[in-house]
Amino acid sequence: MKYFTKKLAGLLVTLLVVSFLVFIAFAVIPGDPATAMLGTEATEARLEALREELGLNAPLMVRYLRWIRDILQGDFGRSYRYNMPVMSMIGDKLPVTLTLTAISFALIVLISIPLGVACARYAGGVLDHVIVVADQIIMAVPPFFSGILITLVFGLLLHLFVPGGYVSWQQDWLSFLGYMIFPSIAVALPKSAMAVKLLRTAILSETKLDYVRTAYSRGNGTKAVLYRHVLRNALIPVITFLGMALADMVAGSIIVEQVFNIPGLGRILLTSISNRDYPVVQAIIVCIAFLVIVVNFLVDLLYKAVDPRITLE
Amino acid sequence: MKYKKNRNFVTGAALTGVMLLFVLIGAVWTPYDPEAMDRTAKLAGVSFSHLMGCDNFGRDIFSRVLKGSGTTLLTAVGTVGIGTLCGVIVGAFTGYFGGAVDEIFMRINDVLFAFPSILLGLVVISLLGSGNFNVVIALGIAFIPSFARIVRSEFIRCKNMDYVRSARLAGAGHLRIMFVHILPNTVTVLLSSVMIGFNNAVLAEAGMSYLGIGTQPPHASLGRMLSDAQTYLLSSPGYALFPGIVLIWMVLGFSLLAEGLKEG
Repeated sequence: MKYFTKKLAGLLVTLLVVSFLVFIAFAVIPGDPATAMLGTEATEARLEALREELGLNAPLMVRYLRWIRDILQGDFGRSYRYNMPVMSMIGDKLPVTLTLTAISFALIVLISIPLGVACARYAGGVLDHVIVVADQIIMAVPPFFSGILITLVFGLLLHLFVPGGYVSWQQDWLSFLGYMIFPSIAVALPKSAMAVKLLRTAILSETKLDYVRTAYSRGNGTKAVLYRHVLRNALIPVITFLGMALADMVAGSIIVEQVFNIPGLGRILLTSISNRDYPVVQAIIVCIAFLVIVVNFLVDLLYKAVDPRITLE
Repeated sequence: MKYKKNRNFVTGAALTGVMLLFVLIGAVWTPYDPEAMDRTAKLAGVSFSHLMGCDNFGRDIFSRVLKGSGTTLLTAVGTVGIGTLCGVIVGAFTGYFGGAVDEIFMRINDVLFAFPSILLGLVVISLLGSGNFNVVIALGIAFIPSFARIVRSEFIRCKNMDYVRSARLAGAGHLRIMFVHILPNTVTVLLSSVMIGFNNAVLAEAGMSYLGIGTQPPHASLGRMLSDAQTYLLSSPGYALFPGIVLIWMVLGFSLLAEGLKEG
């Protein structure tokens, strides 16, 4: 319980620090939001009125606190470019990107754990060698290039899906998921390769420890020792890795969305960056940062569940 | 030479060596002008006159890959340079002195470290505006946390060792101890993370130019070529495959070198 409260306090502090950094980063950039919204031909009086309305004349700390309060109420401000609430712009895009990330994550777990165990079990054998070499190469393939290869092979040659034929989940969720499988594979491939490698190394180094010999001497078979004793310990570094990989996968998803023509957060982030539509960029960054921090927190809790010996420092 | 029997190191060095040669050739000579368009050669296939075929403007893909990989590598050098330099300074000071500043820096660092570098790069780009030079700065900044973290932990490990104590007794100042005594002892660890840095920087640069940020047309870049090639995937797959294979080659070389250095 003490572990939980300590970690929770840490989570809140981190959230505050990060939100402040994001706020400051976008507050100090040259350029005036009022001018951005009204254009350079607006009169000084109208600009001043808008600044007052947006609360831009208040001190920095007051603006920060107001900004936080609005976010907690689900208000991310208004887009400079389209003059509509940011929330309504990204609200239905966020689930698309998150679905892509979630499917990729599930794929990684499903692929890497059995493969990693198989590799370690038959270490030094032909299967192990093939997987180790393939692993090293797959790690070097950027997700967008594997996305292009998947489009070529599964889309254009085998006709398993129509490239660019995205169906939104409101229309037909089954076709939506069917289409999302392919980009998810592209996002999952390099991370799965890393996870396989990590798990293989972890199992092999665990097997050398004393408790494994003890487990054998008590009459356990290879399978029992591997699954009941070794795997549990070997999973710890893999959990760390998966927690950190999740953030990378959101970034990967944003790029792979472009390959498969999926209207998720990626496209809106890119157009907002080229339009200098800061409130939208800021909102997306806050969402992703929030996700990263919360996932790290959950990983910390998961550690404790897998390995009760873990304490604070 | 202890690296001789290290298979990862040898393979990585060979791959990177060939890559460097490739880039060097591209810097001084390309078979065609990489930006010259030829209407008669639009999407031409692989032949002796065009080793990798031609793109939709009839530009020679081999020449463009030669030039583009140079751009990617140069961006990576700049990125890793900024990241290492600033990372070493931040890591050295926070690790050596510790205290409240260290605590605050590490809190921020932890989050930045967990934040994907390409997104961090995109944020900086949105503040600075796009362009090749800004990509180097943006990714460079995004790479600082990972280097700072490694250097910091090395400095914490070393700062109370005997040789540091004796240097202190001999009257060496803090700066001298940090950069003349401790830093050289972190080189092995630093070198392998520099290689991982190259690996990540190449991937990040390619990702950014794929998204259309960074190198602007008509200049060649591997990521941009891949994004342009997507329209012609079925009719001329070579347009996408060749730049992609060169990209994988580059990343694979650096990642194997990093592995090798870690083992050796």
